[in-house]
Amino acid sequence: MSNQVTLSINNQPVTVPAGSTIIEAAQKAGVSVPHFCWHPGLSIAGVCRFCMVKVEGMPKLQIACNTPATEGMKVDTLSDEVKETHKWALEFHLINHPLDCPICDQAGECELQNYYMKVGKYQAQMEDQKVLKPKALDVGDTLVLDTERCILCSRCVRFEDEVTKTSTLGIFNRGDQATIGTYPERKIKHNYSYNLADICPVGAFTAKDFRFKCRVWFLKETKTVCPGCSTGCSVNLFQNSSQREYYRLKPRHNAEVNGHWMCDTGRTMYEHLNASSRLASPQLEGQSISSAAAMQAVTDAAKGLAADKVALVLTAQFTNEEYVASLSALKSVLKSAPKVFIWRDESEKSDDFDGILFRGDRNPNTRGMMDVLKEHGITATVLKGDYAPLAAAAPELTLILAPEVESAYPNLAKAVGRFSELKKTVYFGNALTDSAKKLWLRIPVKTFAEKSGTFVNFNGVAQKLKANPAVFANVKGVDEYFGDLSRLAQSAV
Amino acid sequence: MPVMNSAYNGRQPNDFKILTELEGVPNSRSLEVYKKHGGYSALEKILKGKMSQEEVINIVKASGLRGRGGAGFPTGMKWGFVPKGEGEKYLITNFDEGEPGTYKDRYIAELNAHMLIEGKLIAAYAIGASKSYIYLRGEFYDEIAWCEQAVKEAYAAGYLGDNVMGSGFKHHMDLYLGAGAYICGEETGLISSLEGKKGQPKLKPPFPAVKGYLGKPTIVNNVETLAVVPWIIRNGADAYKKFGTEKSAGTKLFNISGPVVRPGCYELPLGYPLKRFIYEDCGGLIGGKKLKAVIPGGASAPVLTAAEVENMTMDYEAFAAAGSMLGSGAVIVIPEDVSMVEVLENLMHFFKDESCGQCTPCREGTGWLLKMSRGILNGEGQLGDEQKIAEVAGKMMGRTICTFSDAAAGPARSIPQKFAHEFLEYYKKKSSAHGQG
Ligand SMILES: Cc1cc2nc3c(=O)[nH]c(=O)nc-3n(C[C@H](O)[C@H](O)[C@H](O)COP(=O)(O)O)c2cc1C
Ligand code: SF4
Ligand code: SF4
Ligand code: SF4
Ligand code: FES
Repeated sequence: MSNQVTLSINNQPVTVPAGSTIIEAAQKAGVSVPHFCWHPGLSIAGVCRFCMVKVEGMPKLQIACNTPATEGMKVDTLSDEVKETHKWALEFHLINHPLDCPICDQAGECELQNYYMKVGKYQAQMEDQKVLKPKALDVGDTLVLDTERCILCSRCVRFEDEVTKTSTLGIFNRGDQATIGTYPERKIKHNYSYNLADICPVGAFTAKDFRFKCRVWFLKETKTVCPGCSTGCSVNLFQNSSQREYYRLKPRHNAEVNGHWMCDTGRTMYEHLNASSRLASPQLEGQSISSAAAMQAVTDAAKGLAADKVALVLTAQFTNEEYVASLSALKSVLKSAPKVFIWRDESEKSDDFDGILFRGDRNPNTRGMMDVLKEHGITATVLKGDYAPLAAAAPELTLILAPEVESAYPNLAKAVGRFSELKKTVYFGNALTDSAKKLWLRIPVKTFAEKSGTFVNFNGVAQKLKANPAVFANVKGVDEYFGDLSRLAQSAV
Repeated sequence: MPVMNSAYNGRQPNDFKILTELEGVPNSRSLEVYKKHGGYSALEKILKGKMSQEEVINIVKASGLRGRGGAGFPTGMKWGFVPKGEGEKYLITNFDEGEPGTYKDRYIAELNAHMLIEGKLIAAYAIGASKSYIYLRGEFYDEIAWCEQAVKEAYAAGYLGDNVMGSGFKHHMDLYLGAGAYICGEETGLISSLEGKKGQPKLKPPFPAVKGYLGKPTIVNNVETLAVVPWIIRNGADAYKKFGTEKSAGTKLFNISGPVVRPGCYELPLGYPLKRFIYEDCGGLIGGKKLKAVIPGGASAPVLTAAEVENMTMDYEAFAAAGSMLGSGAVIVIPEDVSMVEVLENLMHFFKDESCGQCTPCREGTGWLLKMSRGILNGEGQLGDEQKIAEVAGKMMGRTICTFSDAAAGPARSIPQKFAHEFLEYYKKKSSAHGQG
C-alpha cells in the first residue's frame, strides 16, 4: 500500500507508484500536460517551463515533470492561471522561432505546431528582429541541424549523454544566444542517431534519409516489428499508401523490448520493401513465369522423391507460421520430413551485443524458428561458411528460404554460388539478388511489411507483424506457396 | 577601495563595528593583527570547549543571523538542513559578488580574510564538512591574493589541516576561481561551475543541503554571512541581536553607488533609516541634486521612488513591504537628471547578457525586454510599449529554475509602472522625428 500514492488531477483520482511525478500521474489519468523538455526515456531537465500546474497549497505553480506526486495532492491543469501560463510559455518558445514550417520536414508532426493549435496565444506581440542562428549544419552522416529552429529543450543533449554516452552535443553560449551544437571536431556517429530526429520536438534535427522526400501527412503508419536483428524492436513503419512507397521506420515504445529507441541499422529496413528493389515475378531458368506455373514446377520436381533427397534450407528471417506451413506441407507431400539445414552468414557473431539494442544475430526470428523445428522433432544442420554437409546430402531438390534482409548476410553471394552447384534449387526471396540468377527457380516472396505472423525475439518475446497490401499483387508469402504445393500434390494423386 | 567614513553625527562609529573592526588598523590583513583582536579565539572556544555541532548551530540560530548573499535565509536553520552523521559534506563560500552595485565581500577580504576563514571553519565544524572551497570571481585579483595568503597562513598556524589546533577536527580549504558570470553567484549555478560544468543553476529538488557539490550535502554561504560568525561565537547571540530589528538582527555592510558625496562601504545596524544613510552618512547627492529613485539591494531589487523611500528603514521586512528587497545591501542612488528609460535599458542589457538561458521564459524574455527598452530609447517606441514591457516581465516571474528571471522582471515591471511619464518623452521624440521627415 505504502508504495502507491493516490492524488487527484482535475478532481479525478489516480493512483501511481510512490516516487512518480505529477506528469506521469497525469498521463496515467489521461490528462495531457503540455511539455517539451520532459521525455520518459531521459532524465528530467525542467527547463522548458511549459508543464506548469497548480498544486493546492503551493503558492506558485509547479512544473509537473519534476514535482513528486504525493498522497492526497490536488492538482489542477485547467484553471485560467494555468492556461495563461501555458500560453505564455509557448509564446516565449515562439518569439525567436523562425517559422520555417513551409520548408520544414517536421511540419505536421511538430510539437510546436501542435501545441500552438491547442494552447496558443494567437496574438503575437513580438515585433523586434528575431535572433538569427546557424542553419542546415552537417552534424554527421545521418542528420542535419538547424539551430534556429531549436527550442533548447536539451533532450538531444541528454540522449547523447545518457543513452549513447557519446556526449557529442552541448548548448553553447548563454541567454538568447544559447545555441545547440556539436562539440568542436565532433560529429554524431553512432548507430542510434535517428532517435535524435525523433525526440527533437521541432525540426531542428532532421533525418538526411527523409529530408524533403515526403510530407508527413501523406504517410500512414503500421505497427510492426523491425526485422533487423534478434532484438526485434517494436516499430511503426511509414508508407505513402497511395504510392505504395515506404519512407521510414520509427520506434514504438515497448518497455519489454526496446524502450523508446531503435538503431540506425533498423531504420534502413524500409529500403528493401519498395518495388524498385524487388523481384516482381518468378524466374524459371531466367524466364518470367506465373506463380501458379512456378509452384507447379516445384510440385513436379518433388513428385516421387524420397524425403531424404529433398533439402530445406532455412534462414531465421521468416515467421513461425511460415516455418510451420513449409514443414507441414513437405511432410505431407514427401510422407516424411525433408533434410533441414540452417543457413547462417559466415561472418555472424550471434552473441555480439552493443549494450543498447543491436545484436550480432541479424535474424529477427532465430528463437521462433528453433522452437518450430523442435516441435516438429527435426534436428537441423547448420551451414555457416561450410556448405559440404548440404552437398554431401546430394539433394535432388533444394528449397531455400533466403534472407529477406540481404545486408544481414554479407557473404550471401558466396553461399548462393555453392547452392548453384546443386541440382534443382528453388530460391524463395524478395530481392533481385544477382547471384541467384544462376539458380533453377526463383520465387519472390512477401516482405515483413506485407504479411502477418509472429517473430520471437532473442529473449522469447513474441510479437505480431501487421500486413499492408503487397507491393506486387501476385507475390505470395511462403506459407501461401507451400499451401499451394500441398494442394497441387494432392490433386495430382 | 573607499574606506568607511567615520564622521557620524553624534553617534559613536565603534558602536557598529563588528565586521569593520579592523578598519583603519595598520597592517589589518595580517594574522597577528587579527589574533590581537580576538581572531581564532571563537574557533578555539569551540574546539577546546568541545562544543557540539548542535550547540554551534543553536547559537547561530539564536543570533538571528540571516544570509547576506541576497535572499536573507536564516543561517542557523540552513546549516541544520544538512543530514547528520558520517559522509562527505561540503561548505562553499560564495565570493562571486556579481550583483551590480555590490562590493562588500571584497571589502571584507581587504580588511582581513581570516574573518572569513575562521567563520568557514566554524560553519564547517557545525555541519561536519572536512573540505571547503572559496569560490571567487576570477577578476578579483587582489582578493584572490589576500585569500590565498590567509589560507596559507592558516595552514601554517595549524588552523587548517588534518588536525585543526590539535583537536582532531580535520579541515582543508581551497580557492576556486570562476570566470565571471553573474549566474555563477546563484548557489546551484556556483556548484555546477565548481563541478567543472557550464555554470547553470540546477533544478530543485534536490536541494544542495541534501544533494549539492558532487551529489553530496553542501552549504553555500556568502562571505559576509560567514565572516560575522566568529564575532557571534565570541560575544554570544544576544550581543549580536542588540543590533538591528527583531526580524533583521545585527549589522550589515551597505555599499552605496551613484552621485553621493561620500560613497563607500558602510557597516550599519539593520533597520537604519535609508535617507539618513544617504543624506547624513554619505553626505547627500553631489551638487545638491534631487533624489529621484533608489534601487535598494543591487540590480535585482525593484526600484523605489524618492517618495517611497521617504521613511524607509534598511531591513529585510521594510524593503519587502515596499515591494523591493534588501538583497546584497547595494544601494544605488538615482538622481533627478538620469532618465529612467536609460536605467531600464542598462539593467535589461545586464540581465540579457547574464541569463544562463536554460529556462525559456528567462532566456527569451530577457532578450525581448532589452529589445523593447532599447527600441524606446532609440526613439522607436510607441504609446503602450512600456505597458508591454511590464506585461512580458510579469510573465517571467515565478516560473523558472532560479530567481534570476524574477530579478530581471523586477525593474522591468517597476520602472514602467512608476515612471510611465518618462516613457512618453521618448515616444514624442519619435513623432517629432517623423514630423520633420
Ligand atoms: C542570479 C543570482 C546571483 C547571485 N549572486 C550571488 C553572489 O554573487 N554572491 C552571493 O553571496 N550570493 C549570490 N546569490 C545568492 C545565492 O544563491 C545564495 O542564496 C547565497 O550565496 C546563500 O548564502 P547566504 O545564505 O549566506 O546568503 C545570487 C542569487 C541569484 C539568484
Ligand atoms: S535540437 Fe531539438 S532536441 Fe535538441 S535541444 Fe534543440 S529542440 Fe531540443
Ligand atoms: S536493434 Fe535490431 S531490431 Fe532494433 S532497430 Fe536495430 S536492427 Fe532493428
Ligand atoms: S531563471 Fe534564467 S538564469 Fe535562472 S536558471 Fe533559468 S534561465 Fe538560467
Ligand atoms: S516539461 Fe517540465 S519543464 Fe519542460
